Amino acid sequence: MLLAVLFANSEGNILVERFNGVPAEERLHWRSFLVKLGADNLKGVKNEELLVACHKSVYIVYTVLGDVSIFVVGKDAYDELALAEVIFVITSAVKDVCGKPPTERLFLDKYGKICLCLDEIVWKGLLENTEKDRIKRLIRLKPPTEV
Amino acid sequence: MAQPLVKKDDDRDDEAEYSPFLGIEKGAVLQEARIFNDPQLDPRRCSQVITRLLYLLNQGESFTKIEATEVFFAVTKLFQSKDIGLRRMVYLMIKELSPSADEVIIVTSSLMRDMNSKTDMYRANAIRVLCRITDGALLTQIERYLKQAIVDKNPVVASAALVSGIHLLQTNPEIVKRWSNEVQEAVQSRAALVQFHALALLHQIRQNDRLAVSKLVTSLTRGTVRSPLAQCLLIRYASQVIKESSNMQTGDRPFYDYLEGCLRHKAEMVIFEAARAITELSGVTSRELTPAITVLQLFLSSSKPVLRFAAVRTLNKVAMTHPMAVTNCNIDMESLISDQNRSIATLAITTLLKTGNESSIDRLMKQITNFMSDIADEFKIVVVEAIRSLCLKFPLKYRSLMNFLSNILREEGGFEYKKAIVDSIVILIRDIPDAKESGLMHLCEFIEDCEFTYLSTQILHFLGIEGPKTSDPSKYIRYIYNRVILENATVRASAVSTLAKFGAMVDALKPRIFVLLRRCLFDSDDEDFALDDCYLSLHSGVRDRATLYLNTLGGDGTVVETDKDVKDFLFGSLDVPLVNLETSLKNYEPSEEPFDFSSVPREVKSQPIAEKKAPGKKPTGLGAPPPGPTAAIDAYEKLLSSIPEFSSFGKLFKSSAPVELTEAETEYAVNVVKHIFDKHVVFQYNCTNTIPEQMLENVIVIVDTSEAEEFSEVASKPLRSLPYDTPGQTFVAFEKPEGVPAVGKFSNMLRFIVKEVDPSTGEAEDDGVEDEYQLEDLEVVAADYMLKVGVSNFKNAWDSMDPDIERVDEYGLGPRESLAEAVSAVISLLGMQPCEGTESIPSNSRSHTCLLSGVYIGNVKVLVRLSFGIDAQREVAMKLAVTSDDEAVSDAIHEIVASG
Repeated sequence: MLLAVLFANSEGNILVERFNGVPAEERLHWRSFLVKLGADNLKGVKNEELLVACHKSVYIVYTVLGDVSIFVVGKDAYDELALAEVIFVITSAVKDVCGKPPTERLFLDKYGKICLCLDEIVWKGLLENTEKDRIKRLIRLKPPTEV
Repeated sequence: MAQPLVKKDDDRDDEAEYSPFLGIEKGAVLQEARIFNDPQLDPRRCSQVITRLLYLLNQGESFTKIEATEVFFAVTKLFQSKDIGLRRMVYLMIKELSPSADEVIIVTSSLMRDMNSKTDMYRANAIRVLCRITDGALLTQIERYLKQAIVDKNPVVASAALVSGIHLLQTNPEIVKRWSNEVQEAVQSRAALVQFHALALLHQIRQNDRLAVSKLVTSLTRGTVRSPLAQCLLIRYASQVIKESSNMQTGDRPFYDYLEGCLRHKAEMVIFEAARAITELSGVTSRELTPAITVLQLFLSSSKPVLRFAAVRTLNKVAMTHPMAVTNCNIDMESLISDQNRSIATLAITTLLKTGNESSIDRLMKQITNFMSDIADEFKIVVVEAIRSLCLKFPLKYRSLMNFLSNILREEGGFEYKKAIVDSIVILIRDIPDAKESGLMHLCEFIEDCEFTYLSTQILHFLGIEGPKTSDPSKYIRYIYNRVILENATVRASAVSTLAKFGAMVDALKPRIFVLLRRCLFDSDDEDFALDDCYLSLHSGVRDRATLYLNTLGGDGTVVETDKDVKDFLFGSLDVPLVNLETSLKNYEPSEEPFDFSSVPREVKSQPIAEKKAPGKKPTGLGAPPPGPTAAIDAYEKLLSSIPEFSSFGKLFKSSAPVELTEAETEYAVNVVKHIFDKHVVFQYNCTNTIPEQMLENVIVIVDTSEAEEFSEVASKPLRSLPYDTPGQTFVAFEKPEGVPAVGKFSNMLRFIVKEVDPSTGEAEDDGVEDEYQLEDLEVVAADYMLKVGVSNFKNAWDSMDPDIERVDEYGLGPRESLAEAVSAVISLLGMQPCEGTESIPSNSRSHTCLLSGVYIGNVKVLVRLSFGIDAQREVAMKLAVTSDDEAVSDAIHEIVASG
């Protein structure tokens, strides 16, 4: 299960937060934990360089893209490698929508589209689509090219 | 999108920092949402408003029920627009709002229409939305469409239906299970993602059907799997099949070739999954392991942190069971110590510590030192524990490892971390004699500036035992006395006790110790003295302790107790469990008669529920053995002393746990407790009548002692009546030779008069019939004559015994299931208390030493040291060393093992 996808700006403010199967009372804890993890480790990290952590049976893979930090949290089948795949799809979709690693402003300008991309990539904790070109078409309700 | 009010000619940096959502407010956005009701919809503006709503929701803002309903109804109006971009947003918005069951009906028809649309993408999205908001009843209506969608030629539609199926399986399994034919077909799809989703769903549908899963795996491992993700799933399912079938067959492992083949896949994800699956095979051989380790080794030097992490995490696990297999990776692993990612570095270090050899230790410790300062305590504890085991493995290297521990002890850290270090040093001092002096010195320096009272008292206690035995005990005195001056009352009291121990053991120091102890008499404040975990603190506070010790050691000029008494008092372990002592003290009523210490029950009682359950205790570095509840023993003692027939039997030595004499759910439930006295044994039969229509009277157990020749029945106490569901007891007492651990087998017959009970009135008839009920046999065994009594420091206890009474012999235990099984069999045969956690055995161990202590009938202290070894044929050999206060008892223990 993909437990959480979270986007934050460089100051640690949440831009997008989507949880699956995480009880409401634990979300705040997760949010502050992830933001702190980012603050401790993401300084000076190159775009899309992946960092990884684990806590008991839960894995976390995170990175920066422009001004935005991205975190994905998973367990069971969604181990560090599966999460790396998920975060790769997310970063390439975001780059595609924004045209480059986004500033916070650009990210917010494209907010609606990014939400649609996430909707195509993760569906209630399961990975659904993995190719950016296909996602790009799907969010405009265009069928994928292979059809 | 709403732009912030920034003029074009303003600084561009400023502009970049403005958020389009600056000052966004829920109320205002909800107002804006009213445009969804306009007859002329502006798709662009509508999309913007939806984005703002999404932003609010994603920020954790929540809508009230009324707000959500209002927005939901407004959003449904947007189905009128043909604008594609807007429609996509509408789908997302409905999912986010997750309308309640009574509202869903509003959109159902629109979504059903989209689900049958000619536009594929409408179909896919409508399926996803419907499945998200649907309930069981609606699902039956749309089931037909979903089944079609699963095999739709458009992969997006098929995936949407399949992923919906995975979610719906949780809530409506019986419906989704009907789709397995379609899902099966989708597994063969040429579209990679469809295959992935279909495989996941099919496996979930069939996961409880082993044969079906096995068939699925067999067919797919032979066929083509297109997506790496699906390949990973298949590897997991295959290893599950291997796991479940491994018990049944021998020889070649099924699917191993498939797993090994996956190691050459082009996707890293698949390679890794296969490697991990191989390392986790049960009973994996080194030949099977080698190719997997080789690919993991390559990942160790990958530029991607995720791969490095995954590889080192897996190798770390392998190192626990197959350390030799991992040694080839040590060089790559060493370069990971400086990895920026601390999780990777910690895993690398602990792996290296498990696989390292004697020559690499110094280099390793150097690398670790630089690393320790910038990791969190939880990582540090892992490292400390790994270093401890390494040091025990290579005792010659104690110097550098002990130095490392003492250096980190001086640095900042929390309680758990410091405790882990202190525990490690203590264990090393105990196990490696050469390390003693330097280790004690490190501990002394640590308590000079230790903020944790618990650790200070534990170290002082330990110093008192080990310090006097060193070549120059005087050098520790300064550190100990400093505690008396500088610390809180708890630590001061501990320090006083420690000083007294030096005084008792080292004659040369005695006069000077007296001077120090006399100074302690003027200690100012011991009012807040609290009981700590160290049992010595039971004695009392600082001034009281000083007085007591001066008295005992003769420092105040009074009559000195004998040397042995003094040492027993100061060093003898408190041979009663603390809880027992506490209970006895609470029950003691102040009177002329002083409190009798020997009246405190000494047995560490585990659970009085069933005899078969062995007590599980965690190994502890410091401190006394863990105590247990004693309420049951007290109750037995009271009960027995209230029965005149048994009152002359003297003091109760031991009561066993209840032994069941009937199967579960029989008419009459009977269990028995064996009470052992010096010259007698009493069986207490606890009986329960489980038949509501019966009343039993004059219940007694007829015991046949033909297989227990040394026992003769002397008394019995029948139970007058045994009504339904009200337990009662009947007793039978036997005489046996005094002090002799007689054993034997007793057959038991329950005899009673049964009377019918009228269920309506609950009254029994006047006349009854005599009846009998056969119970199972009962044995009195050697272990019944042994009390489980722990010692706090086994080595000290052993060394204090007379070496002439030690008896050593070797035994072959024959082929055994495992080493652990053999160890626990001997423990339960002897009925003794395992010490220092030695009853737990690491898996795969080939040898083990187990320490036991107990008190044998006649109050004879017994210590046992068992050394086990197991060979490839699972033949177990055991060396048994026994020491006790009585030669005959040492021999008796050997006899028990020889005949057991």
